[in-house]
Amino acid sequence: MSELLEQFLIEGRELVQQATEDLLALERDPADAARLDGAFRAVHTLKGSVALFDLGPMERALHAAEDLLDALRAGRLRAGRGVIDPLLDCIGASEAWIEALDAEGRLPGDAAERGRRLEEALRASLGGDAASTAAPSPARDPEWLRGLAVAEAAALAQAGAAGQRVTALRYVPAPDCFFLGDDPMALLRAVPGLIALRLGAREPWPGGSALDPFACNLVIELLSTAAEEEVRQVFRFVADQVETGEVASPGPARPAPAEEPATGGGAGRSLRVEAGRIDALLGLVGELIVAKNGLAHLVAQLEGADPGLARAFGESRAGIEALAEAMHREVLGLRMVPLARSFRRLPRLVREAAAALGRNVALEIRGEAVEADKAIVDGLFDPLLHLLRNAVDHGIEDPAARAAAGKPEAGSIILEAWQAGGGIVVEVRDDGRGIDPARVRRAAKERRVMPEAAIDALDDEAAIQLVFQPGFSTASAVTALSGRGVGMDAVRAGVEGLGGRVSLASRPGAGSAIRMLLPQGATVTTVLLVRLGAEMFGVPIGAVAETARIPAGLILPLRQGEAFVLRDRTLPLIRLPALLDRPATPRGDTARVLVAGAGAGRVGLEVDGFAGQADVLLRPLEGLLAGMPGLLGTAMLGDGRVLLVLDLPGLIG
Amino acid sequence: MSVRLDGAVIRLEGECRVEDAEPLLSLLQEEAGRVVDLSAAGRLHAAVVQVLLALRPPLSGEPADSFAARWITPLLATARPG
Repeated sequence: MSELLEQFLIEGRELVQQATEDLLALERDPADAARLDGAFRAVHTLKGSVALFDLGPMERALHAAEDLLDALRAGRLRAGRGVIDPLLDCIGASEAWIEALDAEGRLPGDAAERGRRLEEALRASLGGDAASTAAPSPARDPEWLRGLAVAEAAALAQAGAAGQRVTALRYVPAPDCFFLGDDPMALLRAVPGLIALRLGAREPWPGGSALDPFACNLVIELLSTAAEEEVRQVFRFVADQVETGEVASPGPARPAPAEEPATGGGAGRSLRVEAGRIDALLGLVGELIVAKNGLAHLVAQLEGADPGLARAFGESRAGIEALAEAMHREVLGLRMVPLARSFRRLPRLVREAAAALGRNVALEIRGEAVEADKAIVDGLFDPLLHLLRNAVDHGIEDPAARAAAGKPEAGSIILEAWQAGGGIVVEVRDDGRGIDPARVRRAAKERRVMPEAAIDALDDEAAIQLVFQPGFSTASAVTALSGRGVGMDAVRAGVEGLGGRVSLASRPGAGSAIRMLLPQGATVTTVLLVRLGAEMFGVPIGAVAETARIPAGLILPLRQGEAFVLRDRTLPLIRLPALLDRPATPRGDTARVLVAGAGAGRVGLEVDGFAGQADVLLRPLEGLLAGMPGLLGTAMLGDGRVLLVLDLPGLIG
Repeated sequence: MSVRLDGAVIRLEGECRVEDAEPLLSLLQEEAGRVVDLSAAGRLHAAVVQVLLALRPPLSGEPADSFAARWITPLLATARPG
């Protein structure tokens, strides 16, 4: 992939995000000029970058979006629903196209048709203006502004680095201005925050003696770090002769604070580094720590031979150890990103879901500045999307039901994150209909997620947690169950894969809250290594109650299966290979069993052997493995082998 | 008088106003290659700047006026006819 395209993909996603946020804010407050400008700039810049590649349909659709936003800025249109909808559609399509470009290197086959429809919808919203703007209109950032930005890139970059906004001004004094007593130079002296000045000629300078010293032929362009208003103020008597604009910092240096790890380097001074390189660095630091451990051994050996040298060596070793650990913390810190990275993409998707279901939903997001390891922030996106869609679909009632219940018309969904102890808490709560424990019990019995007696023994709070049980959610549950439950086991597995826990609280009629407790940093999970045939799998140690060796003779055949007695309790015995669709190896004299689950759900899982424990960095499933039931994630072992880590509750259920 | 011919050198002295543009232009057109000395120049009127920009005579000296020195003379040295 060319570097240019790569850069475009990164920036394109940011611009799409920016435009989405601004448009959603604009929908809430149509008078918000700053958001309108923001949306316009994002779309304009995106269109400009698209033009560098051969992406006709995308460029044309964005062009139409730009025209529409321009009409809004000019006050010819009002930012109502009818305008925001097609704009968001266009941005949504752009996002999909950017992903397609990333995945396949080209736009999808239906792009031309989709682009045409988007363009039509956007032009239709322009209404009366359509005729005048249907022809490609001149770009909003005029030629001069772009030229000036290129010519004065150094001054711009400097201002950008200092976090300053830059105003550009082009002043073409009237030819007779000298007669009127104007001195354009005197005006320039009064410009605050001047950082660049260029002089040119309106008409080419005539050769020989043809120059008329009394006619002004100057074109003046300048950049200032003062606000546009302030600069215009200087030129208020010749306002008809000046144009101003705000200049974005040059492309690659565009500040994108949300995407970059906070390194405390100060505003705008950041460096974009590929995540893989940080991970490689983390790997090296890990090896450094292992190598450093070898020194302790040497010190011990030295002690016998030369105590003095050993002491000096030991001090030096302690110094290296402190440094290696500080370095480890620092590198882990580089992976910290704000939750906003995942949160920002959600409002548009929630809006879409609400529109599709005819619900009126207000999503509020709090705590998006809370930081966590990149893997956790990225891994949270899917579970969150799932939870939010569930809240819209099953939590928030339709408008009529809400009115009948005396609730405000718009359902409220709050996504909130905060720091707690060493981790973070992310909570999704709604003021919808809540979950009825009786119905959860009934559904749980129907689907046999637990023995009936065990289900009856649960109190209400414990009963609603059954929605996280594998097998609880089935397609038929979607409509049968009032409340939530669709794919909640997927949410649970996703959160546990990140080293977290999830719980649910609900009051019928008043709403539900789902709370996820997650580690903040990249967490090391201790896994029990189990052998199945020649292969090795990991099982989080937290999911294992105990391990046992059961003599083969004590295993009892039981209907279709087998069972064994452990401390006076009969537990079903399941062969783990069978759960994973792998050939079982014949059993020897003893069966190696790990016991998982709690209470009545306790089972024994037979494996071929145990191979110790390992501390691993659990990574969420990606690519082909994503969403595979029964798997929590993958981990890299010390020798470079990739370990699949099993989701025992998911497998047993 | 802000524009004065001193041998082959045209000296701009003090504040140069709009009315200095025409004599400056004449002096420059009279004989090619005349140097314009700015070391005694104060504020320059746009009409004067325009003449220097259009004809781009060789310049000498830094103007005493700091704005002209910082922003204008660098452009006169490098400006190309537009």
